[in-house]
Amino acid sequence: MDVVTLASQLNAGTIIPEGIVTLTLLVVLVGDLIAGRKSASWLPYVAIVGLLGAIAALFVQWNGTSDTIAFLGAFNGDALSIVFRGIVVLSTIITVLVSISYVRQSGTSLSEFLSILLAATIGGMFLCGASELVTVFIALETLSIASYLMTGYTKGDVRSNEAALKYLLIGAASSAVFLYGASLLYGLAGGETQLDRIGIALSQIETPAIAPVVALVFVICGIAFKLSAAPFHQWTPDVYEGSPTPVVAFLSVGSKAAGFAFAVRMLVTAFGSLTEQWHFIFAALAVLSMILGNAVALAQTSMKRLLAYSSIAQAGFVLIGLIAGTESGYASVIFYLFAYLFMNLGGFACVILFSLRTGTDRISDYAGLYQKDPLLTLTLSICLLSLGGIPPFVGFFGKIYLFWAGWQAELYGLVLLGLITSVISIYYYIRVVKMMVVKEPHEMSETVKNYPEVSWNLPGMRPLQVGIVLALVATSLVGILANPPIDLAKASVQRSPILQASISPAKEVAVSRFAPVQSSEFRVQN
Amino acid sequence: MLTPLLVIPLIGAIAIVLYPDAKKSWVVATVFCLLSFGWSLYLLSQFDLSFGGLQFVEFHQWVEPLGLNYSFGVDGLSLPLLVLNSLLSAIAIHTNRKDLERSRFHDSLILLVNAGIAGALIAQNLLLFVIFYELELIPFYLMIAIWGGKNRGYASTKFLLYTAVSGLLVIAGFLGTTFLSGSPSFEIADLQVQNLDSVPKLLLLTALLLGFGIKTPLVPLHTWMPDTYVEASPATAILLGGILAKLGTYGLLRFGLQLFPDTWELIAPVLAVVGTVSVIYGAMNAIAQQDIKRMVAYSSIGHMGYILVAAAAGTELSVQGAIAQMLAHGMILALLFFLVGVVEKTTGTRDRSVLNGLMNPIRGLPLTSGLLILAGMASAGIPGLVGFTAEFVVFQGSFATFPIPTLICIISSGLTAVYFVILINRTCFGKLDNASAYYDRLEVNDRWPALVLTAIVLFLGIQPNWLLRWMEPTTTSLAIELHRPAIARVAAIDTIHQP
Repeated sequence: MDVVTLASQLNAGTIIPEGIVTLTLLVVLVGDLIAGRKSASWLPYVAIVGLLGAIAALFVQWNGTSDTIAFLGAFNGDALSIVFRGIVVLSTIITVLVSISYVRQSGTSLSEFLSILLAATIGGMFLCGASELVTVFIALETLSIASYLMTGYTKGDVRSNEAALKYLLIGAASSAVFLYGASLLYGLAGGETQLDRIGIALSQIETPAIAPVVALVFVICGIAFKLSAAPFHQWTPDVYEGSPTPVVAFLSVGSKAAGFAFAVRMLVTAFGSLTEQWHFIFAALAVLSMILGNAVALAQTSMKRLLAYSSIAQAGFVLIGLIAGTESGYASVIFYLFAYLFMNLGGFACVILFSLRTGTDRISDYAGLYQKDPLLTLTLSICLLSLGGIPPFVGFFGKIYLFWAGWQAELYGLVLLGLITSVISIYYYIRVVKMMVVKEPHEMSETVKNYPEVSWNLPGMRPLQVGIVLALVATSLVGILANPPIDLAKASVQRSPILQASISPAKEVAVSRFAPVQSSEFRVQN
Repeated sequence: MLTPLLVIPLIGAIAIVLYPDAKKSWVVATVFCLLSFGWSLYLLSQFDLSFGGLQFVEFHQWVEPLGLNYSFGVDGLSLPLLVLNSLLSAIAIHTNRKDLERSRFHDSLILLVNAGIAGALIAQNLLLFVIFYELELIPFYLMIAIWGGKNRGYASTKFLLYTAVSGLLVIAGFLGTTFLSGSPSFEIADLQVQNLDSVPKLLLLTALLLGFGIKTPLVPLHTWMPDTYVEASPATAILLGGILAKLGTYGLLRFGLQLFPDTWELIAPVLAVVGTVSVIYGAMNAIAQQDIKRMVAYSSIGHMGYILVAAAAGTELSVQGAIAQMLAHGMILALLFFLVGVVEKTTGTRDRSVLNGLMNPIRGLPLTSGLLILAGMASAGIPGLVGFTAEFVVFQGSFATFPIPTLICIISSGLTAVYFVILINRTCFGKLDNASAYYDRLEVNDRWPALVLTAIVLFLGIQPNWLLRWMEPTTTSLAIELHRPAIARVAAIDTIHQP
């Protein structure tokens, strides 16, 4: 093998975005080393510029070559991975915007936080495209270990330490289970580590064997932990409550999006022959997540715990699109994650701002906030209502697209359950809105009475304001202008060979009953 | 042509927020309300009375992958309701304004509601309808929760949950209708409902009936309604009872009767019975109430029952009566809530055993009491007022199809007279308690909305053609649609008998 073919086989151009993020990480580290503490004032902007560069590189790739397989099949930079990597990077950008003043106030070093966050982003981005077991595991662990570090980042805070330990223990256990599942796959496939070859090997096992199913269950354990889908959700509320809030924001969106990308790729390519089984398991996970997440959220008194349970429930909704397994099903997953990115990060940005100004995140402390801080009230209300699926915000369009795709794929039970549980969710989201908007001045909480004068001139507050306004605008308008993002999601599904292969002919026949072919005949007759 | 109905109130809602003087927000709100009212009157003048289909149609692609289009149109069913919507918004803005807290927010919510209801009435795409139907939820919730009475927290939550369930059933019904029938999009014109078997049709229609039945409300689903109407401020109650509840009956006609004509005919007897039960239940409960606002709220259940009976009968005349009753009831209920609101604000109570002698020309509320008597008469269906016109057409149209339910309804419209006589007798007549009757003088704002509504109620009562002419072509085509199977059957029998 000469150098030229090796270079073309490596096809290293596909990981330019990751390269840019790695370079940014190095610049942040070295900048901190040289300039010391003073660098905290400009390092976040370096990170943001680097991440924007990664987005630009992803954009170039989207319009670029069709040769997407890199590193001898270890990484697949197809359209699907580009879209998911874009979501991960976007979530990191917003996380950086909202974290600056929070990390400053906690008295810890900002540059270290940024470098761990960028490391987690790199892990997440690689996870979106990893198509070989070893790469998958390394990417997964990069993301996980960086996340453990971030959850325990405020070292002085006992709750942060507790959260980090819990997350580490449960995460390590689930990684171990996943690794065991991967080792089973390695054995079953006769020493193959590439996901597509494993898929072929598994499909050739004719007699009903228990081993592939065991491997599937173990792999799903690892995935569901990342998605925080019930019953693998136990870590979520505690970790969300204890960790620094910007970290939670990243975990709930960036890490989750990477988890979904990983789930789609792993299950579709490696377990293509076990589609029925994994659909069944995911349906169970979706049902449990929707019921448990929404029901338990009703009883929460802490804002961060409420958002934790809401994120469990939202994962349940997204799983409907995954189970549908049709083109619109996958597209609705991507669109919903895109919508979720803005509304959830907007919600967290508001929680961060409120806790910066008051030092609390109890729901009852938000009472009467509208009088003191209209922007915060408006953004948090709109983000929460959007999460609850109230039109005309983006969450409604995302949810209706998921349910639409689910219903089209004949998942009537799941869609009905989703509709019912989203009614429950409206109740607890609006409880917070009610606290902020409805309470009279004399019912105002002590915290809000002592609310500091709204001032954006403190260091680190401008980026937070930018983050909040960005989330507000996106949450209110992306729904109304939903056509381009939905087209993008659909195009990414159409251009990803692995998904095209999996959208089974049987499903398409079932769907084509609803397609315009038949009805146009009717129209002609009429 | 129709977009202004949506855009004017939305711009108004934003303009109010941006307008610097919070105390004067009602000026901005009134301007925009009158603009949209004027526009709806202009549409009325341009409306082609000889054509039963959709007019002023607008169509743009919106979110194409979802089958969601920006698709508007009106017919004789929705256009009069649009006028009512703008009228009642203007009335609501001027209801009980004195010392209104957070008036800016209040007025922009009213304009938002106005836009939402207008959108739902003109939407010709199922998903678009759902968006507007759900859009109402949060503004109304906030209006009840912020400006409501003592028990507003409970009432607003109950309203929220019931309405959210109603939205859920409607969405499920719409998704089912579109996908099970294999329709290419959510456009009402594109729906292929005839592809469905009778069982799915029945299930889908039931889901829609329950969904819209909660909103209307019909009797087993009504429990949210008295609490909500009573706790809501008069302005909110006017909008809730006057126009929001009409979205329920509008949905029944538009998506029940029009989309599923043959299934509708099948279950019509059940609907007639449900409607009759609503009528009796509402009247009986109204008689038993001490609280006059609650009495008016229960009277509303009864009057919505007539609409269901008429819609079930499904003759040309009865459907016309149903629409007329929606309009008449919207105006009369708004008038009643307005007057009861004035009484409550001035006297500080709604208890009919405490109130007495408000007719007293010197120290009482003579004008308000006089209008209250008139409104009670209108609601009871006394000839010469708009309530009579609507009820008469309802009864005349339904009698041939459902004689016994119609007869029961006629009898219980007598019960309406009973509770209004009780109400008027206790509050307006008798001796004013001199010890406590030191009432504030009424302001202009407490008078003219009631006078405007009364004038319309009187005018349409004397000149009923102005009420009925708009819907005639639409109801004709609806009734033909509904009776097509029967007509086909008759035609088939005829051909068999012909040699």
